[in-house]
Formats: sequence, structure tokens, C-alpha cells
Amino acid sequence: MSQAITRRAGLGLAALLCALAPLSLALGPAGAETSGPEISFEIPEPGSVPPTLGAEAFERIYEVVSHPRCANCHVGEDNRPMWSGPSYGAPRPHGMNITAGESRIGAETLLCSTCHRTNGDFDTDPHAPPRAGLDWRLPPVEFQWFDRSAAQVCAQLSDPERTGGRDWVELARHLTEDAGHRGFVLWGWNPGGNREPAPYSLQTHVEDILTWGAAGMPCPES
Amino acid sequence: MKVSFKVNGAAQSVDVAAEMPLLWVLRDHLGLTGTKYGCGIAQCGACTVHLDGQAVRACQVQAQELEGAEVLTIEGLGRPEALHAVQDAWVEHQVAQCGYCQSGQIMQAAALLDLNPAPSDDEIDAAMSGNLCRCGTYPRIRAAIHAAAQKLEG
Repeated sequence: MSQAITRRAGLGLAALLCALAPLSLALGPAGAETSGPEISFEIPEPGSVPPTLGAEAFERIYEVVSHPRCANCHVGEDNRPMWSGPSYGAPRPHGMNITAGESRIGAETLLCSTCHRTNGDFDTDPHAPPRAGLDWRLPPVEFQWFDRSAAQVCAQLSDPERTGGRDWVELARHLTEDAGHRGFVLWGWNPGGNREPAPYSLQTHVEDILTWGAAGMPCPES
Repeated sequence: MKVSFKVNGAAQSVDVAAEMPLLWVLRDHLGLTGTKYGCGIAQCGACTVHLDGQAVRACQVQAQELEGAEVLTIEGLGRPEALHAVQDAWVEHQVAQCGYCQSGQIMQAAALLDLNPAPSDDEIDAAMSGNLCRCGTYPRIRAAIHAAAQKLEG
């Protein structure tokens, strides 16, 4: 039996999902907007979705996670965030010689929060550093998406050892939880300045994760 | 909105727009003009101050983030009769040329030494590359940071 969930993503869900690492981070100051959007999703019965629909959903998922709004910070073990997207031409490492270090928050040299403030007001000036309701940081190195193929990303998202222990339902919940904090996921579709947002919508992305998961997490060959 | 915080140890309270950058709170409302405006988009580092002990770009910190915070600016880092070790080293090495970026450079360098008392050249470069100097005083900045580290070591 499927479960229908409709809620305003926020601290109520945070309490339920306290095992997720980002929840330990402090909330930002009161901004113009301090809560996330309405996110609804229905958890389908595993196996209730044909693999072909799951594969189509993953194609959209990959379009999202490989987009510069997501992939620029989902970088590998060199710990260097990237600048890429329509305004950059060829991808290049973040300017100012930035490295986030093994801490992935820049603690070894220059904290990300020196410029990227913890503030849920996404409306920045063009070319100003983006900010979010969670402390700015790189995700764990095993979550690398930059310069990764669809098959590689699919294998990573299918492996709880490389998703912080999350299965597909928990991945979808993670997205709504982040949105409740006005975090990085929600920012990807509301990036401020003149940045191109991630494709589709957060609502569609959540639904695609659930469709892909219920279809048995089919992965492309390349 | 009204916001109360400390600047250089003194309690301050201002009534400003929630989105006003700390830079303008300091310069226009509190008269502390040692913190400089360079670009307004965190590309140059000229407005660097310390917020609760951490270097930040004052142009990116909104007033609504300041309630209860402690801000340290170049005016409060040292006193003329008792310079901070970084300021002392800056004088010794005659770092400044035009000087416009130097308050930001000094505040960033002081924050670096708080976190890393003996930084290597590479660590200095990594921490200081977000602070631009159009006069190109970078070699003197690096030398002065090494000297300040030795002064602080004692």
C-alpha cells in the first residue's frame, strides 16, 4: 500500500529524521523566508513501477544532479569546488584559490562561510556568493557527481554506503528535509543572482527519485 | 529592524533594514570607516572583519544576522600604543602601498593566525587569495604574516 505524504517541509520532519547528518547543523538567521515550500510525495509500493518508467525518471534525475547548481559542489577528493555553467564557458575550479580541505567546509584555510553566509534569503546580487539556510560546505567526497557518468551516479545513489545510509525513500525525504531548512537542494532551484536553476522542479525531482526507487533503481549502462 | 550586537567590545544597537550589509552598518551608522568597500560581492576581501571570531566579508553579512554577535574591525584589532602582532609586522615590512585593501588583508591574516599559528607559504596563499591587492604587495604580505607568526609565538 502506498503512503501519501503532504507536508510543509520543516522542523517537524527534522525531528523525525534526526539521524540525517545535515540536521545537526544550525539553522540560519531569520531571513525574508524561513520555511520551505509545500512538498508532497507518495511512496509507491516497491515493484509497482515498470523499469522503463524508472529508467526515464533516472534520466531526469541525472540531468538534475549533473547540473552545475548541484555538481559544482559535489566534487571529488581534491576538495575544490567548481565554477561551471552557461556563464563560464569551460568548467574551472572556484576562483580565489579555494579549497574546502578534508573538512569540506574550508576549516583548514578559508571557511566557506567567510563569503557564503548561512541565511535562507537566496536573493543575492549577480556574481555575489550564494547563501543558504544551512552552513555552506561540500558534501561528503563519496557523493561525487561532478565529472561522473550517469552509470556512476546511479551506482552511487543505489549504494547506501555512499548515500549516508539512505535508501530511495530516505533520499526523497532528505530532499524535503533540506528544503525545510532552505538548504542547498532548495537553493538549486532558486539560486539567486543570474544563475541558471537546476532543471525541472524540486517536486518533480522528489517524484522521480520515488519512481526510480519503486522501479528497482534501474541504472543506465553508461 | 532593531539589532543589538558588539563592535570592538562596545555594545551597539542600530535600527536598519534587515538586509543591510554589515559593511554599511559599520561605515554609515557607526562611523567606523576603516573597513573598506571594494566590490560589494565578496570578490575582493577589502571589507573583511571578524564576526564571532571568524573572518567574514562584511558586504555579505546582513544586519539580521547580527543579533548578539561580536564584531571586530580594524579599529579594534590593536591600539596605536599596542599594535596587534599582524599590524606590527605590517609596519616592519612596510606592506602597504596605496593601502586601500590593507585593513581587509590584516583582518584576514589575523584570523588565519588564530586558526593556524605557523602557516606555510601554501597555507598563507590558500587563506589570503580571496583578498586582492591591486598594488601587488603579496610578497610583503606573505613575509609579514610569517613575521607576525613568530611574534605571536613569542
